Amino acid sequence: MADLSDIRSETPDAQAPAPASGMVVVWRAIFVGILVLFVVLLAWRLWDTNKSEHRASGMAPPFTFTTFEGETISLDDLQGQGVVVNFWASWCDPCRDEAALLEQAWRREKDNGIVFIGLDYLDQEPAAKAYLAEFGVTYPNGPDLRSEAARRYGIKGVPETFFINSAGEIVQTVIGPIVNEAQMEAYLAEIRP
Amino acid sequence: MIFHIGYLILITAAVLAVFGMIAGFWGGRQRNVKLALSSYHAVYAVAGLVSLAAAILWYALLTDRFEVAYVWNHSERALPVFYKFSALWGGQAGSLLFWLLILSGFGAAAAFANRRRHWALMPYVNAVMLGTSLFFAILLIFAANPFRLASFVPQDGQGLNPLLQNYWMVLHPVMLYLGYVGLAVPFAFAVGALLSKRLDNEWVRTVRRWTLIPWMFLSAGILMGSQWAYMELGWGGYWAWDPVENASFLPWLTATAFLHSIVVQEQRGILKVWNVTLIWMTYFLVILGTFTTRSGVLESVHSFARSDVGPFFLVFMVIILFGFLWLLFKRLPLLRDEQAIESYTSREAAFMANNWLFAGIAFATLWGTFFPMFSEILTGDRISVAAPFFNKVNGPLFLLLILLMGAAPLLGWRRTSRQAFRKQFTWPTLIGAATGVAIWLLYDAGYPAIGLAACAFAAATIVQEYVRGVQARRITSGESIPAAMGNLWRRNGRRYGGYLVHLGIVLIATAVIGNEFFQQNTNVTLANGESVTLGRYEIAYTGLEPNRKVNHIEYGARLMIFDQKSGKTLGSILPRRNIYDKTPEQPTSEVGLRMTLLEDVYVVLNGWETGGSTATFTMYVNPLTIWMWIGGLVLVLGTLVASWPHPGRRRSEAAASIAYAVGSAGD
Repeated sequence: MADLSDIRSETPDAQAPAPASGMVVVWRAIFVGILVLFVVLLAWRLWDTNKSEHRASGMAPPFTFTTFEGETISLDDLQGQGVVVNFWASWCDPCRDEAALLEQAWRREKDNGIVFIGLDYLDQEPAAKAYLAEFGVTYPNGPDLRSEAARRYGIKGVPETFFINSAGEIVQTVIGPIVNEAQMEAYLAEIRP
Repeated sequence: MIFHIGYLILITAAVLAVFGMIAGFWGGRQRNVKLALSSYHAVYAVAGLVSLAAAILWYALLTDRFEVAYVWNHSERALPVFYKFSALWGGQAGSLLFWLLILSGFGAAAAFANRRRHWALMPYVNAVMLGTSLFFAILLIFAANPFRLASFVPQDGQGLNPLLQNYWMVLHPVMLYLGYVGLAVPFAFAVGALLSKRLDNEWVRTVRRWTLIPWMFLSAGILMGSQWAYMELGWGGYWAWDPVENASFLPWLTATAFLHSIVVQEQRGILKVWNVTLIWMTYFLVILGTFTTRSGVLESVHSFARSDVGPFFLVFMVIILFGFLWLLFKRLPLLRDEQAIESYTSREAAFMANNWLFAGIAFATLWGTFFPMFSEILTGDRISVAAPFFNKVNGPLFLLLILLMGAAPLLGWRRTSRQAFRKQFTWPTLIGAATGVAIWLLYDAGYPAIGLAACAFAAATIVQEYVRGVQARRITSGESIPAAMGNLWRRNGRRYGGYLVHLGIVLIATAVIGNEFFQQNTNVTLANGESVTLGRYEIAYTGLEPNRKVNHIEYGARLMIFDQKSGKTLGSILPRRNIYDKTPEQPTSEVGLRMTLLEDVYVVLNGWETGGSTATFTMYVNPLTIWMWIGGLVLVLGTLVASWPHPGRRRSEAAASIAYAVGSAGD
């Protein structure tokens, strides 16, 4: 505050715009400079955060998970294939509407270079396994531990499905169940290598 | 359909806010009465429209309209009605709408209360309030639409975050928002004063109450958050210097400094630049805090769903920072202090020291909060700044602050004579010193002895002031003691309410010291029937009690507490774990708590073997904790006493403002 009172003592006329002496200009510049720096760092950080967390629209964020059978699968290992990532949960009723369709599509496409992956969101293992058995699901499924993948993909809820092409780009995002076979076929066509 | 209307209402509110802002700024500048009136009407209209939008979202929540994405994500059929209602502020978009609702409410209240006063200031005040409303409306329209519809109609919602299904957590955000958002009003007045060049004490007098009330809500909100952390998170603590906690604490610090320094301006006509700077910083810290909690730039336990509000906040912060600085630099010549500080033993010097301390604590806290983020950007390493840093830096500053809090009210304006000094300080100093020595002898602990001595000193000065005030009244009017107390509060609420607030702070500080230095804890696994000794208690586990609730199962472990020496039964507690149907991976904990005036027995249930044959606990004995909550109540009571309108005072204020309007006041 000492500097502010200096400013005051150096202004002769209360009505005139502040005549800036050398010191005053320096102090103001330092003050404004610190604030500018602060905002720039915040902006930088925000940009950084968005880059890593909101990739959901461009490149598919990498993730690794362990299936209920104990096999470890990483998205990076699936380069060159089309990937369908489906977030689901046993307590989720709309998920049931698409479960059979997903399994059918997988059986049809697994020899065409498309991999289906099911990530179980906030669930309990026994209930999840019962659900998989009920629909006879055979494609790799595992828990999304600590909701890590769900957070990276920024899912809005379950079910949510991502179609990733062989270059690792997210081509389609479907919020809610896929109930229409034609819709499924159209999306699969986009990612078939 | 109705949800499209909700969205349209938000757009209309934004358009009206733009209009009202222009009317306010232009009308204020041109002294155009019609435009000024328009700005009032715009404030009321925006408040009405936003209330309508909030009502529509409430309707959607209460009637389970899961086609609205927000409802789908933050509610479920089985959720109790109370939580459906509070889900409005349980997620990003809804809480922004809630924020806007409170903001426009405050704007309308400020406009209405001053509809016949401060005609030079009010158009600008309305414009600033509308500008802030506009910003939040833009967020809702472009980045976080609460009325966005899902592409299908889900059967049921995802459920509210279990951690938020707690009474404290329902109230805590409301209180915080009332505090946070309310601080926009004094800032609006400061901008109004700068723009209208009415930089005398007019705006400062008006703004005192508009700062006190939000300050009270903010204090209560912070304490309720602590209470929630204490009861719900189950790590035995009430404050972790988490970035989001700091975000609420920072504006509290600067607002507290502001409340004190405006007194100096009122009394002595100094610190004018400092006051506008403080309230600007407070407002900026409010927006910064909102930004950091919602953009994901800081890692915190309070993770909000992310959305794309970040860039909007950045732009708004740039406007606040540099717009205000430009205005301040332009007006500096008008902000000359009328007098200088004469002596270091004067009350104004004490107020200055108080302000420096608050600014120091605020700076240290800001630094500690943002340093990890900046260091990560610049060096790639994340250096975490944890509680020890904050405690080490802020602890001694708070100690000085408490000493000052005791001393300052005893000092006179301008200077304090030696006789007055002796008369005021003898007893409190003796009591403080005696407390310090006693604690030191009893527990052989240096830091808590110093801390508690400072608390005792401050408490003694407050009691001394009350005793003298009551005695004076009894001598002059022969009133009974309660009547004299009541009259002190009624006639001199500012002073004696302020003392109550100080007493509340002393109590909170006492609880903090007790917890910081004398907490005892242990981790144990107990078989059914087994017991453990902690402090002066013996605690026995007697079995697991599951209990089915609407949307979750509650598992409680029954513990009996005995006095370790006499073996007497002191009571039983039931620490619990709740497993929610929708989010079983995220069980919440309800601690088992036995509160007494001296100490809390606090037990967290960590886990159990099937059927509850054994169970694992973390147990704490937390000394003096209850005084934190009692102190909070005293603080709220004191603020109410200090801000309660006094009939006589109101008359004199009205007279002053009429005189001002007529133009005969010394302008």
